[in-house]
Amino acid sequence: MNRRALFAQAIRGPILLITIGVLFAIHQAGVINFSRTWPLIIIMIGILKLIERLLMPTSPVRGPLP
Amino acid sequence: MRRGSIAAPLILIAIGALFLIHEISPVFPIADMVGQYWPYLLILWGVLQVVEISVRALRGRALPVSGISAGGWFLVVLICFAGFATYEVRRPDNWWRRVGFEPGIEVFGQEHQYQINSVQKTVGNAPHIVIETFRGDAKITGNEGTDVVLNGHKIIRTMDPREAERADQKTPVDVVVQGNTVTIRCNQSAPDSKGTITTDLDLSVPKDASIEATGMAGDFDVSSISGDVDISSQNSGVRLTDIGGNVKVDTRRSDLVRCTNIRGAVDLRGHGSDVELEKIAGQVTINGDYDGTLSLRELARPVRVQDIRTEIDAEQVPGEIRLDRGSLNAQNLIGPVKVNAHATDITLDGFNNGLELTADKSDIELRPARLPLAKMMVHTRSGNIEVALPETATFALTASTDHGEIENEFGEALKQHAQGPGARLEGAIGTGPELTLTTDRGSITVRKSSGEEPEAKESDVANRGEQVRLEAISIRPR
Repeated sequence: MNRRALFAQAIRGPILLITIGVLFAIHQAGVINFSRTWPLIIIMIGILKLIERLLMPTSPVRGPLP
Repeated sequence: MRRGSIAAPLILIAIGALFLIHEISPVFPIADMVGQYWPYLLILWGVLQVVEISVRALRGRALPVSGISAGGWFLVVLICFAGFATYEVRRPDNWWRRVGFEPGIEVFGQEHQYQINSVQKTVGNAPHIVIETFRGDAKITGNEGTDVVLNGHKIIRTMDPREAERADQKTPVDVVVQGNTVTIRCNQSAPDSKGTITTDLDLSVPKDASIEATGMAGDFDVSSISGDVDISSQNSGVRLTDIGGNVKVDTRRSDLVRCTNIRGAVDLRGHGSDVELEKIAGQVTINGDYDGTLSLRELARPVRVQDIRTEIDAEQVPGEIRLDRGSLNAQNLIGPVKVNAHATDITLDGFNNGLELTADKSDIELRPARLPLAKMMVHTRSGNIEVALPETATFALTASTDHGEIENEFGEALKQHAQGPGARLEGAIGTGPELTLTTDRGSITVRKSSGEEPEAKESDVANRGEQVRLEAISIRPR
């Protein structure tokens, strides 16, 4: 794994935490209920995984892409 | 050994500091603050971690495998639970209060009931009655004489019956007459009385009395008093009927405040749930956070509502204003009317002398009904606006939407042009007041209030207005 992928992996937790915090803050302020915004957390996890995957070097077995 | 994260110690310090503040100054509303702002703790933590990891990455140090460890997530879940719990506890109307779990510790021990010795004292025509802080219900009624008559009972809950006996003796209900002031003292906070004491009072006072009462928990029921009534309570339902003077109610928590037939001004403040005001001859001021239904009917003088989410001003309300969570409905108002609302759909039916309305995320429906029209300024950040004007109305209209369509039933006199994804409608019919309708996102409909049916309704509304105004005058102070 290269450093950038490691960085993406390390930062995943904190970014999720910020997302959750923001959603709860919005809920508390009475703007949008958390029960309507929670899927954003799943979407966020998906996006973070995707970024991590893009930064990951492709496996040497298949060889480098042309 | 790799150095741990900087965030965990900071979070611990923050939590510790909160508890410390509580120890040093117990009055500081710490639970309110935690209940309100705990999500920002999570955000702060997340930001700290991001900064820390970025700094490490830039300096080429070793990166942690995951930014927040399993233990960290456990702490997050704990904070969420604690935050939600404090938030729920602060709310006046939550599920466990509804299912009756509220008494809490009072579930333990046994209930003992004691009668209060009846007290009767002659005090004169118009005494000032002061009820000092107590826990329990109070029912106060006016009588024709010059006596104060006190009855009631105490409910004492203790683990030990002998304790209850002692507590009863230590907490007599005193009626102290000092000149024109009558003080009623329940002595519930007598030192070393164990258990919880609830004193329910049944009080009959001369009808010209004025009343000042402070309660911890328990309902107030006051009727047929012609002086001022001033009630403040931590947790209380308040019902006032036939009051001659000014009314002031300040509640920290309340399931219902109901005032019927008040000749003076009504001033409500604090937190609560439902509010019902009916037949008020004086000015009405509501200032606070009431999360139930607000119902105002037959108000003869100006009304000002300043709720956390909604502000309403009107000169008179011969009809009704009803504010629920998410909707505001009003019929038959005398303006100028001013409304400032947030995420609340608004329907105004029958109003005059102008309107100034600002809202966000609100659909708006207006039927001024009465002619001549007066100046209207309506703006919503997102939502549809629908205005129904009488066919014979004269006005100068400017309507614009940034995203959406405009529908116009008044024909060619009003010119419409597209404006990017939105539209604009301008023009005048006769000479009349300015009507300005704007929405950032939503459609606008300018309708003719059509057919016979609405016309009948129109006169109906007007008639009702006259009637109520007469009635309102008849309940003015003598």
